[in-house]
Amino acid sequence: MIRIDGLGFCYQGASKQALSDITLDIRDGDFIGVTGPSGAGKTTLAFALSGVIPHHLKGEFSGSVRIGDIDTAKASPEEIARRVGIVCQDAEGQLLASTAEDEMLFGLENFGTPREEIEDRISYALDSAGITDLRHRTISSLSGGQKRKLAFASITALRPEVIVLDEPTADLDPQSSRRVFETLRALSVSRGATVIIAEQKVMLLCEFADRLAVMDGGRIALEGPVREVLRQGDRLEEAGVGMPGVSVLSRRLKEAGLYSGDIPVSLAEGERMMRKAAADAAF
Amino acid sequence: MKDFPDYAAGDSALHSLNPLTKLILTFVLCVACFLTKDHIFMASVILCDVCLAAAAGMFRRSLRVLASLLALAFILFFVQVLSVRQGSVVLSLPAGFYLTDCGVSSSLTSALRMTAALTPLALMLSVTKMSGLPNVLVKLLRVPYRYAFVLTAAIRFMPIFFEETARIMEAQTARGVEHDTGSFLKKARLMLPVCAPAFASSVRRIKAGAVSARLRGAGLRTRECVYKNYPFGAPDAAAFFFCALVTAAAIIV
Ligand SMILES: Nc1ncnc2c1ncn2[C@@H]1O[C@H](COP(=O)(O)OP(=O)(O)O)[C@@H](O)[C@H]1O
Ligand SMILES: [Mg+2]
Repeated sequence: MIRIDGLGFCYQGASKQALSDITLDIRDGDFIGVTGPSGAGKTTLAFALSGVIPHHLKGEFSGSVRIGDIDTAKASPEEIARRVGIVCQDAEGQLLASTAEDEMLFGLENFGTPREEIEDRISYALDSAGITDLRHRTISSLSGGQKRKLAFASITALRPEVIVLDEPTADLDPQSSRRVFETLRALSVSRGATVIIAEQKVMLLCEFADRLAVMDGGRIALEGPVREVLRQGDRLEEAGVGMPGVSVLSRRLKEAGLYSGDIPVSLAEGERMMRKAAADAAF
Repeated sequence: MKDFPDYAAGDSALHSLNPLTKLILTFVLCVACFLTKDHIFMASVILCDVCLAAAAGMFRRSLRVLASLLALAFILFFVQVLSVRQGSVVLSLPAGFYLTDCGVSSSLTSALRMTAALTPLALMLSVTKMSGLPNVLVKLLRVPYRYAFVLTAAIRFMPIFFEETARIMEAQTARGVEHDTGSFLKKARLMLPVCAPAFASSVRRIKAGAVSARLRGAGLRTRECVYKNYPFGAPDAAAFFFCALVTAAAIIV
């Protein structure tokens, strides 16, 4: 259980709060998507969840973040690191080694992964990120997208209880972006990992996440199960978040009196909606 | 300036040396360059490095690195030669500047020394993985990881600094600053204001690296954590013999 209570943060020297009065409960095994326009505070929230704030970045911190039985402000960075893995928005800055394999090894070694497990963990994580062939490459020779996939794999290999991702698909093609989400779903379903992902690609978020939190100006503007959040289209627009195409379409059809069912959140549901609308029209 | 090296993959004898051997060899060569005043010795160190690089299949790369280092050495020479006031004047310049014989010879020594001391470092960094140095320090010498990390960060400062310098120069070039044209003096003058921000952003990058390491449990890293083994072999013995020769040579000359 993650419990964020009245969390506020103001970066040193900044004139306004990056986060204010954030209260949010996340159950174990939840897959929660965080979205919002840039500058909304997604990165800062990810930092608060992984202990970067208040341990490594200076500023004014208020409220609390509890992860299981630890309070991130009181626990040591190592205690937090044991539970939470973070894939940073600046994936390149996160990489520390010379080769992809060494990068994978670093965290596994630190957390004392048994030697006989290490090889499996590395090859599994590389495979699920689709970068098995990059294993022996030097990191300086990788593209931005490849570096991002590596940063992602180096964290999933650690199998943390909580995995925080800050725009992990920013420079990935649609297929690779999907793959990231599928890997996360597998981690969440088969290992019970809690996934918290900041993401601009609302369509993917809606398809994979259980819950959605929409941030705006350092606050949580909307939060709840994906479908409930999408029903509040006007408030989403206010917060500057575009709805997935199928959801927008369903609103238009409703306004035209052609559809009356629930709001679709994925392409498959959108197809069902269209078939129903077409059938009704024919009738 | 963009060619100060980071690790380049390879399977040469130099690559396969134990990282500790490479560290010691580099250290010995650097220290030797600071102990001696002999220009021939320093030039031999540079030559020797280029030869070793060539043997590791990195001849052209080593020349590019050398060119970057010489550019830096020239700036050092330029600044020093204008600021030394002792000795007899050999050339008067406008705006009250003049060159002296002492100034020219001491500046030449410093510039050459810097180049000679940095080439082995550059070579080591191109043939040693970033994890190699802290790993041997922790595993073989039982140094606590945090000190090994700091030492590695210090060693890696140079390549990061060069990279940042190149990045800032590229950005300036994009905005119309002409780094590529004009005399060598003009280029050097344009370089100076780049150094301060490059320094600041290098420090920032190193700090960010430390945070990133801690987020992945670096604070828990002990000797037992290191997965790979770092054995010594015959090439290491040869390298140590070479170290002894260099030390002897530096003491004699
Ligand atoms: N290091 C920093 N120093 C000062 N202000 C910052 C810093 N990082 C972010 N901010 C400010 O905090 C707010 C939230 O930023 P951020 O969390 O990065 O948003 P997002 O990730 O949603 O784009 C923004 O107003 C931003 O300008
Ligand atoms: Mg962000």
